[in-house]
Amino acid sequence: MSEHQQFLAEREQIDLLIGKGYQIHSVKEHLNGATVEFVNGEGKQKETLLIGNANARKYFSSLIVKQSHLSP
Amino acid sequence: MADLRINLAGIESPNPFWLASAPPTNSGYQVQRAFEAGWGGAVWKTLGDPILNVTSRFAAINFNGKRVAGFNNIELITDRPLDVNLKEIYETKKKFPHHAVIASLMVEPQQKKWHEIVKRVEDSGVDGLELNFGCPHGMAERGMGSASGQVPSLVERQTYWVKEVAKTPVIVKLTPNITDITATAEAAANGGADAISMINTINSLMGVDLDTWNPIPHVAGKGAHGGYCGPAVKPIALNMVAECARHPLINVPISGIGGISTWQDAVEFMLMGATGVQVCTAAMHHGFRIVEDMLDGLNNYLDNMGIASISGIIGKAVPKYSDWGDLDLNYNIAARINPDVCINCNKCYIACEDTSHQCIERLTDSTGKSFLKVRQEDCVGCNLCSIVCPVDGAIDMIELPRELQPMTWNDRQAVLHAAACKVDITK
Repeated sequence: MSEHQQFLAEREQIDLLIGKGYQIHSVKEHLNGATVEFVNGEGKQKETLLIGNANARKYFSSLIVKQSHLSP
Repeated sequence: MADLRINLAGIESPNPFWLASAPPTNSGYQVQRAFEAGWGGAVWKTLGDPILNVTSRFAAINFNGKRVAGFNNIELITDRPLDVNLKEIYETKKKFPHHAVIASLMVEPQQKKWHEIVKRVEDSGVDGLELNFGCPHGMAERGMGSASGQVPSLVERQTYWVKEVAKTPVIVKLTPNITDITATAEAAANGGADAISMINTINSLMGVDLDTWNPIPHVAGKGAHGGYCGPAVKPIALNMVAECARHPLINVPISGIGGISTWQDAVEFMLMGATGVQVCTAAMHHGFRIVEDMLDGLNNYLDNMGIASISGIIGKAVPKYSDWGDLDLNYNIAARINPDVCINCNKCYIACEDTSHQCIERLTDSTGKSFLKVRQEDCVGCNLCSIVCPVDGAIDMIELPRELQPMTWNDRQAVLHAAACKVDITK
């Protein structure tokens, strides 16, 4: 899979969760990229994604920046 | 016609082009010839206790047909008596009162030595002093030049000693043979320097003769490291000037030196914070009259830009020079090959396929003609293909539509850090 295809696949996973109302709750960065934990609006449902692609890591980072601007 | 006059820490000259302290400024004859050719100022070859030189002294790197891409010397400071130099400085200044004559000085790091030479030299009528804390060869083995220029406390102390007695502006010339030049630049400013100049030459060994195994240059079969300069060092010098120009604690004017060969080089240094520039290698390669092209080019550039005075460009690009962490991670460019211009040499394809991100494809059209195409979605915008391309206009680097808001590494880390206070964001 090309880097771009990998990006599209990882971005799609992220967008799917965001589309369902999840928010990024935690990020753990490590040698294989980042493990990103999402929680839904009430905080009861959790999903975890391993994001390895560089552009996908930029993408979720941008979402966190955006999320931080929206948060009170 | 633009006003090219500069004022560097009180030293005025009719234009920003000075000859650097080096062989071209060894004598009054040479400096006066330079002024007649159009140079605005000259930093006299370093004065101090007259030395003994060796022969040979110079070497050059020729690269792909370009002669003197880099230049190296093992010549020391002046070998002429001080009184001879001072008499010629006096005569030169009398003949060219509106040109800048700066005396480069180098003595042992002792207060009385600095006081003595400053007083004697200033009596000759110089417009300023430049302290040579940069020469990396020979004199450094005796504790002078770059040996004292590499120690911030010595730079500060010696500058202070000079300022105790100097009546003219004091420029401190810095060595690039140090991890962080802003440390010594700040020390010079703390010592009271009115200005700093950079860079002096870089430690270098030009080569080894494959037949004789002699170092290049050699003196009876032996060599020693020299000082490297010329066009090859320009990017190193430009970075050092820019780093000092944007440093919040270095608030003195800068005289830019290092590989400046054209008016365009001079403009780049001035945009990055230099008030004026000093030139050596280009003059040694092409003669003093090279300044004519520099003056014409600079004049035309300023006129075309609608800038009335050279002072209007000083430091204008400094705000654009920053830390990597302040660059936008979401800004994207990609390569685009123009098939009408491309000669299908495959240089870009090979470079990308072997050493970059494998995003150029070799394709064949319906007529059987081969062509190259960038797979834009996989291009990381590294510029390599356009760098190796031998044909101007065959590859453009184009800005891609923005998909995400600007975000720097520092922005990202700040948000992650702030979020970690509320949620579990760890590393």
